[in-house]
Amino acid sequence: MVCLELFKKSFSRHLQYRAAHLINNIGSLVFGFMYIAIWQGVLEGKEHSSPYSVTEMTHYMAATQSLLMLSVFLTVGLDIPPAVRNGSISLQMARPVHYFLYVTSQEAGRLFYNLFFRSLPIALVFAVTVGYPLPDDPSTWLWGAVSVTLGVLIGLNLFYLIGISSCWTLEISGAHFINMTLMFALGGQMVPLDLLPSPLAGIALHFPFSGLIYYPVMVWLEKLPVVEALIVPLFWGVLLTLFNLWLTGWARRKLEVQGG
Amino acid sequence: MKLYFTLVGASIRARMQYKFNFLFSTFSYGLIMVTDFLMLAAILLRFDDIRGWSIYEVGVLYGISSASMSLYRVVAAEIHDFERYMVEGEFDSLLIRPVSPLTLLLSRNLDLNRIGGVVQGLSILGISLSHLTALPTFFWLLWYLPVALGTGLIISVSLGLMTATLAFWTHRIREFQVFTLYAPTNAANYPVSIYPGWLKWIFFTVLPVAFMNYLPATFLLQKGGEWYLLVVSPMAALLFAGVAFSFWRFGIRHYHSTGS
Repeated sequence: MVCLELFKKSFSRHLQYRAAHLINNIGSLVFGFMYIAIWQGVLEGKEHSSPYSVTEMTHYMAATQSLLMLSVFLTVGLDIPPAVRNGSISLQMARPVHYFLYVTSQEAGRLFYNLFFRSLPIALVFAVTVGYPLPDDPSTWLWGAVSVTLGVLIGLNLFYLIGISSCWTLEISGAHFINMTLMFALGGQMVPLDLLPSPLAGIALHFPFSGLIYYPVMVWLEKLPVVEALIVPLFWGVLLTLFNLWLTGWARRKLEVQGG
Repeated sequence: MKLYFTLVGASIRARMQYKFNFLFSTFSYGLIMVTDFLMLAAILLRFDDIRGWSIYEVGVLYGISSASMSLYRVVAAEIHDFERYMVEGEFDSLLIRPVSPLTLLLSRNLDLNRIGGVVQGLSILGISLSHLTALPTFFWLLWYLPVALGTGLIISVSLGLMTATLAFWTHRIREFQVFTLYAPTNAANYPVSIYPGWLKWIFFTVLPVAFMNYLPATFLLQKGGEWYLLVVSPMAALLFAGVAFSFWRFGIRHYHSTGS
């Protein structure tokens, strides 16, 4: 299992930066408290006209900060563009393990690290301060884990897509920023997607970005039926994976190895 | 000063060699910010206000803080990326020159990509102002804008400089920046009054972003503030800049080169 080995190595490599990441977590917490305060300010006295109570919105915003570390804050282009620029991608593609798995299993190792040193500490602080929601129904734990995994899968694929596009474009910073913008806005980081104005909400609920934050949080908070919350992320997770596998094949045929 | 403009001119000419890439990345850098504001607009379309602040009033705060933060990223790009000088040991080469290291850092490089952020911040400001003409203090507001942007720039640069100074001890500062720069300047996009007490305290003292827009706005937007806050705010910014500069000098005295 080469992939498992890459996964473990990447996990232990990031373990060295624990202290720095714990400091970074303070930043995430401030952002979380900020969004909670904004929503408290917005909903105060208007709860009757909102599908979310102040408490529910507080939990939504707290959960968001934990999830961002798993499905949105991934390595820029999954480090593919530097490999394209210095040519090492040709060696990586020549290896017996599929390039898509080679790149994504390393990133998955980093995300597994994030789970223990970013997401859980953040969740723990919110649990103590604003009360983190623990699902009543035991099956929610299972479905919650499934929906987060699908979110991670979509996140990995979107970042891989931007990264592998550097085989054609060389420069990805513009594409990266646009992707991040869409992830934040249409992922439901600041606004639960169903609260958006009507045509936009309909579109956002069916886009792949909704699987990153909105649907997983909905499953954890038991605000949506499980099937409804899993179908869109499942569709996009599978579709994007297949598309990226095809694209990788195309990129491999495009590669030229120079030198003698 | 003449030297500064010569260096800046050279930097602009260098960027213009790649016009399309420049325009595309300039546009995409500002996009996150504007989208963030549109999300807020979507919320307030449905819920009217945040504790009595309308979307246009928040827009004034938003425009000032995001334009001054982007301006900081343009003029102080090297201070923002200061850890590079520590990690790669380039700082020694600045110390042996006849000009102070800070002047060198400020004139070395302008990050023109970030101008998109300034333009989009000013656009949000302009649109918001056009809906606030009925305010009795409207002309005060208009005249005060350059002062507010200057105050915002001074506070942002001071925060950046203080964070950079930490690199003399920690070498890496990227993880600190989330807490010392991104979180407070983002928080300043909204009225500081909505935050819980401990956060308010931080934004008035250690990370004094409340002075860049919120405090003068309490008078200019008639939220119960007095006229003298217009004078107090820039003074506080200058005081903070003094503290930041002393800290920087203190840091340089404690700098130990890695050289052999």
